[in-house]
Amino acid sequence: MHPILGRLGRLASYLAVWTVAAVLMAGALTRLDLAWAEALAFLVPLFVVYAFACLSAWYVCRAFPLRGDRLLLVLTSCGLAALTASAVWIVVARAWIAVLGSTPAFAAASTRYDQQLPLLFVAGVLLFLLASAVHYALLALEAVRNAERQRFELEGLTREAELRALRAQLNPHFLYNSLNSISALTAVDPAGARRMCLLLGDFLRSTLSVSGQEQIRLADELALADRFLGIEQIRFGARLQVERRIDPSAAECRVPPLILQPLVENAVVHGIAGLVEGGVIRLDIARRNGSLSIAIENPRDGDEPAAVTRGTGLNNVRRRLAVMFGPDARLETHVEPGSFRAQLELPWSAND
Amino acid sequence: MTSDGRQRLRVAIVDDEDLARAVVREYLAELPDVEIVAECANGFEAVKAVAELRPDLLLLDVQMPKLNGFEVLDLVGRDVAVIFVTAFDRYALRAFEVHAVDYLLKPFSAERLAAAIARARERAGRGDKIPVQALAETARTGQGFTGRILVRDGPRVHVIAVASIDYVQAQDDYVCFRCAGKDYLKEQTLADVEASLDPARFVRIHRSYLLNLDRLARVELDARENRIAILTDGGRLPVSRAGYARLSAILGE
Repeated sequence: MHPILGRLGRLASYLAVWTVAAVLMAGALTRLDLAWAEALAFLVPLFVVYAFACLSAWYVCRAFPLRGDRLLLVLTSCGLAALTASAVWIVVARAWIAVLGSTPAFAAASTRYDQQLPLLFVAGVLLFLLASAVHYALLALEAVRNAERQRFELEGLTREAELRALRAQLNPHFLYNSLNSISALTAVDPAGARRMCLLLGDFLRSTLSVSGQEQIRLADELALADRFLGIEQIRFGARLQVERRIDPSAAECRVPPLILQPLVENAVVHGIAGLVEGGVIRLDIARRNGSLSIAIENPRDGDEPAAVTRGTGLNNVRRRLAVMFGPDARLETHVEPGSFRAQLELPWSAND
Repeated sequence: MTSDGRQRLRVAIVDDEDLARAVVREYLAELPDVEIVAECANGFEAVKAVAELRPDLLLLDVQMPKLNGFEVLDLVGRDVAVIFVTAFDRYALRAFEVHAVDYLLKPFSAERLAAAIARARERAGRGDKIPVQALAETARTGQGFTGRILVRDGPRVHVIAVASIDYVQAQDDYVCFRCAGKDYLKEQTLADVEASLDPARFVRIHRSYLLNLDRLARVELDARENRIAILTDGGRLPVSRAGYARLSAILGE
């Protein structure tokens, strides 16, 4: 069924346009032979009927899509359809003339009506062709809209997949090193080995469970980071120390899962691990003018150039923020010879 | 020599993590005729240990503070056999290029370490030497040019930033890095050094000299029509015909 038939408002305005056309045509006919009343009585019902007939152009247009290499076919089919539709219309018109002629008011006019039929046939063909043109235009518009919607949908899906991949990006070397630590502990400190197994299990489980979610509580993200740091503290011993300054009201704030984790990991891998004596990682979390502010600072070896590999982790965080918050979130980094600081700003949201 | 005729193997463990050293120590304790002569928590300690204690074998981590495993190998590899012990498999190719005895991936079993030790013994029996050339090339980090030069001075290691080098001079089997009036000798060829440095910055102006362009003030002709490079500190270096052509090409004269 033609899409316009399902919508009353559009159908009404469509018929109104045809009525106007009928009035214009009637005006033309008054110049020839007919009186206004006769012309209107004759044309308006016919035009309304023809309005519905012209909707059939939709099927023609869909059956013969407008393509450069099939222009002749399109023109022929539209032309034939127009001739047929107009011919049928003329038959209807003759019947309508007969009906009108049987009434006393229009009895005298019937022969004059007959004389207008060739003109009406030409008008019918032209109107049908016009309707075809409009349909082609509308179909093209619809195709463009569909393509755009598909593109948006695709973009959304791509982003989603990307997010999933980014979250899954857990460093396998972290696992290998942790397992090596456990291997060492089994001989010298079995209780420590067990503690590390539990920490590792908890860390992996919570990483997997949060990664399916859009947003998690900051408290949960921090618990994850704490487990990670707990494991790394067993590995690095006294070289790794952590100082936390966390605004308690921030616990309920919503954050994307694993947004903090890559920054904490960087602080260990590119900061502490490069220092013979190790150092302190400072985690500072505060609520500031409607946004959540997270700062992670770590000491680093000033002789080393700022690590190149660090860039991928940071870029992933930046891209995720851009996808989720647009300009409302940002990640800034400050590199000093002996320290590195990542400053993360997120919109504050603590609903439900 | 021990009773069954096997040489006692003297080993140094180099890893920045206590637990990583602990597991190696534990495994080695089970092996006969292996003596742990040193445990080092970073590359500098390793270089010092090699110079002072002359171990037969290093069990060497790759990612460590200050000096990584390959840099340690660059400094001491001629004196000691090396087994790499790391969580990263991506260095394996490089490790075998520099003729490491073996490459252990953490975590590993006691049997795996025993097999690696056996290989080390076997190789020590054949008296294999590590090719010097391969060492210098792989010590370079990544594909880019090196940013620092490591020079061993007995148990000490000098880390020279490339920008602080005035020029490099070939001296028999050694090269001499000249930095702000100080000289550092390293057993390497000038061609190797040249290959590891950015050619837009260091130019071979003479068979025996590689010059940091930042130090060049001007080129003069002396009384015998020889070209002389005048350095910013007033020093003078000979410029060969080919060297002058290379200089001109880079400076666009």
